[in-house]
Amino acid sequence: MAEKVISPDLKFVKEVIASGGGDLKKCYQCSTCTVVCNVTPDTKPFPRKEMLYAQWGMKDKLISNPDIWLCHQCSDCTAYCPRGAKPGEVLGAVRKVSIKHYSPTPLASMVGDPKFLLILLAIPVLLFLSYIVPKGYLDFSAIPRGENGAIVYAKFMPVFPNIDVTFGAAALFAVVCFAVGIMKYWKEMTVNAGLTKWGMAAKGNIFETIYKTIVEIMAHKRFQKCNVTKARSTSHLMVFYAFIGLAITTTWAIVYLYGHEFLSIPKIGIFNFGESPYPLYDPMKLLGNASALALLIGITLVILNRMKNASKAGIGSYFDWLFLFVVFMIMATGIFSEVFRLLNIAGLAYPTYFTHLVFVFFLFAYAPFSKMAHMVYRATAMVFAKHVQREEQS
Amino acid sequence: MEKKLGLYICEGCSIGESLNIEKLTNIGKNALKVPVVKSHFALCGKEGIDLIKNDIQSEGVNTIVLAACSSRIKYEEFDFPGSLVERIPLRELAVWVQEEKSEMQIAAEDYIKMHVIKAQKGDIPEPYMMETVKTILVIGGGMAGMSSALQSANLGYPVVLVEKEAQLGGFVNKLYKKIPTAEYYTEPLIVDTEIDKVVKEVESHPNIKVYKSAKVEKTDGQPGAYDVTISSNGSEEVVKIGAIVLAAGWRPYDATKLDHLGYGKFKDVVTNIEFEEIARKSGNKGKITRPSDGKEAKKVAFIQCAGQRDPNHLSYCSAMCCATSLKQAKYVRQNQDAVAMILYKDIRTPGRLEFYYKEAQNDAGVMLTKGEVTGVSDAGRGNLYVEMENSLLGEKVNVEADLVVLATGVVPATLDDPILNLQYRQGLGLPDLDLYDGFADSNFICFQYETRRTGVYAAGCVRQPMNMAEAQEDAAGAALKAVQCVEHVAKGIAVHPRAWDMTYPDPFMQRCTSCKRCTEECPFGAIDEDEKGTPFFKPGRCRRCATCMGACPERIVSFKDYHVDMIGSMLKNASVPEDEDEPRIFVLCCENDAYPAVDTAALQKIKINHAVRFVQLRCLGSTNLVWIADAFSRGVDGLLLLGCKYGENYQCHFAKGSELANYRLGKVQETLDRLQLEADRVQMVQLAIDEYEKIPDIINEFVDKVKEIGPNPFKGF
Repeated sequence: MAEKVISPDLKFVKEVIASGGGDLKKCYQCSTCTVVCNVTPDTKPFPRKEMLYAQWGMKDKLISNPDIWLCHQCSDCTAYCPRGAKPGEVLGAVRKVSIKHYSPTPLASMVGDPKFLLILLAIPVLLFLSYIVPKGYLDFSAIPRGENGAIVYAKFMPVFPNIDVTFGAAALFAVVCFAVGIMKYWKEMTVNAGLTKWGMAAKGNIFETIYKTIVEIMAHKRFQKCNVTKARSTSHLMVFYAFIGLAITTTWAIVYLYGHEFLSIPKIGIFNFGESPYPLYDPMKLLGNASALALLIGITLVILNRMKNASKAGIGSYFDWLFLFVVFMIMATGIFSEVFRLLNIAGLAYPTYFTHLVFVFFLFAYAPFSKMAHMVYRATAMVFAKHVQREEQS
Repeated sequence: MEKKLGLYICEGCSIGESLNIEKLTNIGKNALKVPVVKSHFALCGKEGIDLIKNDIQSEGVNTIVLAACSSRIKYEEFDFPGSLVERIPLRELAVWVQEEKSEMQIAAEDYIKMHVIKAQKGDIPEPYMMETVKTILVIGGGMAGMSSALQSANLGYPVVLVEKEAQLGGFVNKLYKKIPTAEYYTEPLIVDTEIDKVVKEVESHPNIKVYKSAKVEKTDGQPGAYDVTISSNGSEEVVKIGAIVLAAGWRPYDATKLDHLGYGKFKDVVTNIEFEEIARKSGNKGKITRPSDGKEAKKVAFIQCAGQRDPNHLSYCSAMCCATSLKQAKYVRQNQDAVAMILYKDIRTPGRLEFYYKEAQNDAGVMLTKGEVTGVSDAGRGNLYVEMENSLLGEKVNVEADLVVLATGVVPATLDDPILNLQYRQGLGLPDLDLYDGFADSNFICFQYETRRTGVYAAGCVRQPMNMAEAQEDAAGAALKAVQCVEHVAKGIAVHPRAWDMTYPDPFMQRCTSCKRCTEECPFGAIDEDEKGTPFFKPGRCRRCATCMGACPERIVSFKDYHVDMIGSMLKNASVPEDEDEPRIFVLCCENDAYPAVDTAALQKIKINHAVRFVQLRCLGSTNLVWIADAFSRGVDGLLLLGCKYGENYQCHFAKGSELANYRLGKVQETLDRLQLEADRVQMVQLAIDEYEKIPDIINEFVDKVKEIGPNPFKGF
């Protein structure tokens, strides 16, 4: 094997420490972590080697390494670490640095840094204000109402172009960023894997691998191997399916609106093609509300679990908490928007809905730089690992 | 002094129920003709002690034979100054280890006979008095030497300090900073050495006289009365000295032998000592510059164990380099952009230093990894590669550095220089230091600082590789041993390990044939020779092991309470069973390890074959071959010697005793063959103090072997 030159990158060490790996330097390589880890492959197991690479500032070895994503931060390692080096937290910090590395805009450094939180929030706030201020909608009585004086959010913030163009653009931006990041990540993983003994012989075709990965993700199989934070698997599963539910709801709503608009599909029984708001009995509405409730409960459980496990697993970083906070805010404001609308309390309904839009924008537009990105990078790493038979080695 | 014996038989601890005390009393009175024989239900109680004290005062008893328990216990109760005290371990050897009641009685009678005869043959000890001084000589003015000097001086002893350099301070003078001794998490990890303060304290101390640029030319005499010739700046002076602290320190291992690590080949490969000099260099203010181009070093690699734990260089660990490299890493880290990379075999930071290691490791720029450094090569751009194999970072990696520091090891000053220049018949320096890689160490497990020369106590890195804090502790220990030495020789008693012993070797010189066996064999060099080659004893150097007594073919060496005839008479006066199937076997055992093991076996009520009788010796080295003839001529069937382990990891209190006994036994076989006795009737076994469980098997095996040989043909003569 070629001799590898080791030349530590002190800046990277400091970055990992600042990103939530504060106890990184305490590791003395006893390997207890790799022994207690249930999700690592048996050959070249993590997170022992990752701890050393991080201590030595070996950025190349870490950020383009699929192993950092195979880790699900069960925190079994952190709970058993005899020196309190918190490998789970360190790998979380490395993932954050990795996300930042592959996200191609300056937003990457801003999302992980509390200093920029207000600026990041200000962008959607100003954007949405620019839609309503000229119309004089800061005076809620000026906002047109629907039948029988009901509050109709579409009249406050028109679906087209305000909502759909804004979020469509945000989503497109996120997709492009993700695509660029993933391509770079895949390429670097490929180069790195060539240097290791994992071998590059791909078994089967890539689509089959992707399919297998999706099945695994759907069942949360890896997550269930965790010990110390076992409960996280259930709450995460709940959040995961709630998000899927909401994605379906959103698509469904688009079909209702544009199906009616462009294809002139009328209301069919319980399926209310046409403009919002939709009655509560509509299956789309039922799915949406159920998903919203599931997400709120799920995210609350995630937060409670984190607090409960803090002594064993570590409290987590700003990066983690920001994501949890955003999801929680989306759900809370979403549900209350609906409640206040139905109760017809304009003074609460419009500001709540406004806040809701701000946080949804935050989630969409900043997804490639926030912890939301874990969904994409982890899935990619899992596909790659399967592709190069990293996992079959276990 | 006229002796009057008193035999006191204790009935406590089940002795009374197991034995016929009346019969024992009668043996004492009638057969052994002891003038005062008494028994008591608990001799160690106040009433029992008063009974004895009363006899001392009113009856004039001055030789007290206590048939009670082992001499290893109750020694404070049974302390009668001015009297000769003989202890018979009746409880242990006659009661606890015996199975049958009848055997208990026979054993008790034997032991009483043997020990009463021993006491009858002994004399009341008197101390060896000579003119002594209490001045302590400290050789070496480094941290250990200065600390030792201050310790002794503060205890009120005059101190003479000899330093070879022109100024005090030793290696600390070369250091930029030191490891703090306070809490590592509150103090900075590198602090000023403040050696000036210590030097000043030493130089201004009224009890300390300092010789600089000085050397010990000659050490003559003995503890309490050494004549030490000190040369300093061309003049010589003879100083009277009581005891010596050897703190001559160390030097770094010769790095030119480490060319495989690039030393000599690359200017930017330096030793840890040279690294201190770089950091100390005036104008640098701690900035680390490279010798090659004077640029600041920002990637410094430390190679641990450079030429250490390596059979081709130093085979041992120098104990201080791991913490030193962590400290030096902090020098590098005075520049926040620089990194220090420590490449180790193992990090060894015992005790509180573990916290130092943790604190240093917490620094983002201090990087550590384990691996095998195989070489140093040119990386171009003025940098170097440290080549590593089997490292945690990869199977084969090159660590790029702009400066490489070799953690070279400690070589003791005593490796090739006797330092002390002792005018002893056995040589100028300390003997057998090759056992310790040249360090002035010893295997006196329980007695650190002691060397094989009484009165010479080693401290600091000349004794073992250690760090500065440990050297200071060592210095205190050695100073206290030196104090013990001067006080004991002033009182005329042994220094150690028989620190209570007032007796001393008193040879009957008229019969000396000048064969010099004693001068050769004395483990402590206590015996010199005069111009005619006749040995003469220096009792101050003597540890009272009686190796000389065992060595002497003329049997002229005796102590007041221990001599050849005394033990020989014990061997001749035990019962020998008439039944030919019942052998009688003597076990000669060393009182420091083997006998305590027997005591422990007894305490655990482990049964031991009734054929044996135990005789305690000061050391197996005192075994005189005539005892074998003594025993066998009386029909004894076998002789077993239980001694300490010898060899590289010897456990003998007197270093050589059991080894010498074994050596002498090698020669006795001839004699036995001549007597037409089987050589296998005499055997030596090595036993450690904690191996008491093995004793019954060792003895049974030997008894079986003797039974197989058959009874001693001299039986009944």
